[in-house]
Amino acid sequence: MAFLNILNSRFSNSFELFLILAKRDISVRFKQTALGLIWAIIKPITTMLVFLFAYKNVTNISNISGFPIQIVIYSGILFWNLFANSFQSVSNSVLLSSNLISKVYFPRFIILFSAIAVSFIDFLFGLLVYFILSIYFNINISYNLFFLPIVVFITLLLSVGMGAIFASFSVKKRDFLQIIPIIVQYGFFVTPIVYTSFEFYLKPWFKLYAIFNPLVGLVEFFRFSLISGYNVLSLNDILLSIFSSISIFFIGLFVFYLKKDTFVDYL
Amino acid sequence: MNSIVSVSSISKKYQLPSSKKEVGGSFFNKIFKINKLEDYWAVKDVSFTLNKGDKLGIIGNNGAGKSTLLKILSKITKPTTGKINIQGKVASLLEVGTGFHPELSGRDNIYLNGAILGMTKKQITQQFDEIVEFAGDQIAKFLDTPVKRYSSGMYVRLGFAISAHLDPDILIVDEVLAVGDADFQKKSLGKMKEVAAKEKTILFVSHNLTAVANLCNKTLHLENGYVNQFGETGEVLNHYLSAMQNNLLEQTFEHINVAPGNDLVRLKYAKLTPSLVGNQLIADVRSSLKIDLEFWNLIDNQNLNISLHIYASTGECIFNVGTNPKILNKGIVQANLTIPSYFLNDGNYLVSFMVVKDKSIVLFNFEEVFNFEIADYREETTWYGKWPGYVRPQFDFPIQQVSQKL
Repeated sequence: MAFLNILNSRFSNSFELFLILAKRDISVRFKQTALGLIWAIIKPITTMLVFLFAYKNVTNISNISGFPIQIVIYSGILFWNLFANSFQSVSNSVLLSSNLISKVYFPRFIILFSAIAVSFIDFLFGLLVYFILSIYFNINISYNLFFLPIVVFITLLLSVGMGAIFASFSVKKRDFLQIIPIIVQYGFFVTPIVYTSFEFYLKPWFKLYAIFNPLVGLVEFFRFSLISGYNVLSLNDILLSIFSSISIFFIGLFVFYLKKDTFVDYL
Repeated sequence: MNSIVSVSSISKKYQLPSSKKEVGGSFFNKIFKINKLEDYWAVKDVSFTLNKGDKLGIIGNNGAGKSTLLKILSKITKPTTGKINIQGKVASLLEVGTGFHPELSGRDNIYLNGAILGMTKKQITQQFDEIVEFAGDQIAKFLDTPVKRYSSGMYVRLGFAISAHLDPDILIVDEVLAVGDADFQKKSLGKMKEVAAKEKTILFVSHNLTAVANLCNKTLHLENGYVNQFGETGEVLNHYLSAMQNNLLEQTFEHINVAPGNDLVRLKYAKLTPSLVGNQLIADVRSSLKIDLEFWNLIDNQNLNISLHIYASTGECIFNVGTNPKILNKGIVQANLTIPSYFLNDGNYLVSFMVVKDKSIVLFNFEEVFNFEIADYREETTWYGKWPGYVRPQFDFPIQQVSQKL
């Protein structure tokens, strides 16, 4: 019992520190800006407008897989920004907190988790805009919405896992920081973000693709939860991606666990 | 008795890029920036144990491994080898205001910093008013201003105020007392003493030997990562101070041809002797300083005098004192000067002197003849900040009550 109490008090202390670091990042985020939180929705909307322009004027596509192009693209971008922003900030989190890490001891894992706070808040605001869009385009919201928290949670696990790997290695060799933007930039196109996997999900290589790029299953699951009637992938394909994401999460935490005690020596 | 801190032969190795430059390293090495690494032991084979309530002072020169040792003890970094066993809650203050965010207000930063240092939100809320009060009126007034608008003094005061309200079993402190103005230092040291009185265990790194002597019952002297001595404070400090005291304070030149100078004058002998009273081992502000100078005068019948300068380590001249001019012939000339006790303040000083002809022509300037240090000494004081000024006179300065009426 005594052991459990200690464990419990340690956990609640860590949780408090997590909350306060997350709160710090969120409240600092829009200090000294005139538009404040509006910035959180400007980015996904502009990205969507750019692709709309291309699709309408270059190839004259107005719907994808039978759903309005705006809805498909915006939901994809919303998902992608959640993943990419949290992945990037988790990857940079250790280096950015170097002054803390080299001066105070606290459970280092907190750094990883608190880094996703800002992208999560941005995501919530983006989601608000999605609901407005869905009303405009007459897209129903079904009970599938209950799956949304699960997709979001798993997406965050994946970004923490991947971020933890990059955060751990970039402390010693900053080369790893150079890889992150490459992943974010090309990952956007090799994942069905501004298109859907409808055209190729039956191809023989798809299973392998869904394991190595778990974002495929996640983004389609994400659309499934938001867009009523959208049902591209089978449950099996989605489970494959979820399994892969959770594995990456644990691998990331394990790498971080092995490396965390040497951070100070290279910061 | 059970030891609360026990450290057994810990060592910490760092790998530094080799200082030896490889001439014409291979193409491959250059492209991939491969450096040869050299091992460097920042801390080597350090062991000691502390009992509950012990206050340990850690002293040593820069680079002796003090800060690395503190980092290991506060779990920030792991030792390469060796074991540490610490029982109880540890708080380490390696700097004040760790993790302050410049954009956040003083209020938010109290919660942020407190949480980082291991306080719970409840503990911070309970002590919030005390913290603000300890930090001073100025902070109270600007509690909702972002700390980037604070002066550096305010920043430090707020940081220390938060740390002072941690309630650990073991407190690890690195030179944080060296910050802030005199008033605040007094307050901080008072707080440290208060903590010390509470049977807490303190580990304290400082260059201020007076503070170590006053606060700590045990002292660890590190040298190049090794333990030079660990034991009772008085014993270790005496040993440390006497080791420091082999400054070159005497110069003798046997042969006129190699002695510094020119064809007119050459230095023969120079000695600086501080007077030491009681069990004093090094010159401190109580010491008078006797300076003996001898030089060869190489020309007959000159009207000579000596002009001696004392410089602070910053390069400023503290004073210039001269002998009366005198007609002197070829041979050895001697001059003696005594600087009284309680004249120079603690610090590092340089002595130069020149031989002057006819009160105006400099025959030779003997630069940096001595480089000496005067230590601080205070009795019955609770303040350990740097005593300001270059001189430390004890003038008669009576104070009395002349009336009890208001």
